[in-house]
Amino acid sequence: MIRGAALAALGGVTIGVALLLLDRSSDSPPVTRPSLVAAVPADDPLAPAPAPGLSIPAPRLLANGEAVSVWAPLRASAVVRAAPSSNASALGTLPARTPEGTTNIALVTGNGVDRQALWVPVRAAGLTGWISRAALGGYQTVDTLLEVDTRAFTATLHRAGRVVFSAPVGVGTVDAPTPTGDFFVRNVLTRYSSAAYGPIAFGTSARSETLTDWPAGGFVGIHGTDRPDLLPGRVSHGCIRLRNIDILALARLMPVGTPVTIT
Amino acid sequence: MDTYFEQFDRDGALRETEAALPAETRRDLLLGALAGGTALALFASEPASAATKGDVAILNYALVLEYLQSSFYTEAERRKALRTATAKQTARVLGSVERAHVAALEQALGSAAVKRPFFDFRGTTENEDAFIRTGVAFEDLGAAAYKGQAHRIQSKALLQAAISIHSVEARHAAWIRYLAGTTPASSAFDEPKTMAQVNRLVASTGFIVRRPTTRSRRRPRFTG
Repeated sequence: MIRGAALAALGGVTIGVALLLLDRSSDSPPVTRPSLVAAVPADDPLAPAPAPGLSIPAPRLLANGEAVSVWAPLRASAVVRAAPSSNASALGTLPARTPEGTTNIALVTGNGVDRQALWVPVRAAGLTGWISRAALGGYQTVDTLLEVDTRAFTATLHRAGRVVFSAPVGVGTVDAPTPTGDFFVRNVLTRYSSAAYGPIAFGTSARSETLTDWPAGGFVGIHGTDRPDLLPGRVSHGCIRLRNIDILALARLMPVGTPVTIT
Repeated sequence: MDTYFEQFDRDGALRETEAALPAETRRDLLLGALAGGTALALFASEPASAATKGDVAILNYALVLEYLQSSFYTEAERRKALRTATAKQTARVLGSVERAHVAALEQALGSAAVKRPFFDFRGTTENEDAFIRTGVAFEDLGAAAYKGQAHRIQSKALLQAAISIHSVEARHAAWIRYLAGTTPASSAFDEPKTMAQVNRLVASTGFIVRRPTTRSRRRPRFTG
């Protein structure tokens, strides 16, 4: 039965093509055809369609277990709570701006919870808890991770799980140690005039545990230096210092929102 | 708001997000994007006369829409908030196809490709009902937008490619309409949409926002 239908269809196509060819060779007056015949190229009605002008690749699904981190800017100052509820205890307030005047951001550490309103778990400067989704702007993703080893004095940047950068660093002294833990890059400072910080400085969510009265909150940066001769070693007040050539290379690879793990 | 968006915005989710825009008004966003030279400039620069700006401009216009769709589905899959297996599969498959469209357009445009805008989907990727409603609106819009540019494309080869994408967008529209419990294809003829119409609809969602300021020239005051 299927074979019969196929043959019938093939026969129909053959007859159609024959009628079309017959029509082309006919001396009869042209017939106004409203649609398909009029739409094909006049020079060759049977010409195939042109090749598409774009090369569209095969769709690729997201990899299972892809290593991306999510961050979001704060729309306004917001309260971080201990649980996903407006009745949960307040852990602190995140300001909308950083001391450097940039938009404050939070690392989104998990999936949201919808309890009348949507809440998402975040990690921010000094605070880990839940924040109303309405307080955050659009999600951004990064596939980078910076690891700083304060014993080996190295900084290593991973992208999509592969090492793309490594350099020697200076870290905090025994009296002003670089804090260890999980943090993230929250801004980039450039074109300032301060040789001590080198050409570029990244602001992080890490805070010195000893320099609590430091101006602008005692946040730890990742920056260049005018004393490369001191690297690597325990030479800073907690910041992570790189040679200027290394911080410039890192700046080309490390976007804002990159998680920073300091051990 | 357009009938496409009204029809699937029964709870007023899109209207709410529109109304919930903070100090940044939609007009400000448009002007800001223009000043910054971002992709939204393509939408906003569509003149009333609809004069042809060339195939590159049309490809970039398509690229912005594909950025919007691909970012939406990708975020929905990553946020893992969709409840049903069908909705999860929709985000996963449609996201992969829209990313392929983005890759094709970026490759064709090379250095002429516009930058990916900054999106804020305002929770619609984290709520299944809002996800489906927004997906219907996006796919209907995508199909109508491609159709609206077909007559302006000069290159037959690019027209062929655009038609290839357009029919896929129409399939997506039928798919997600079915998921929404709506007749997948109830009209005998679909209406095209101009760039200006598409621009207004996209702006009305508030999903394209200013890039947050994460760079500064201030002198560092880190611990040093």
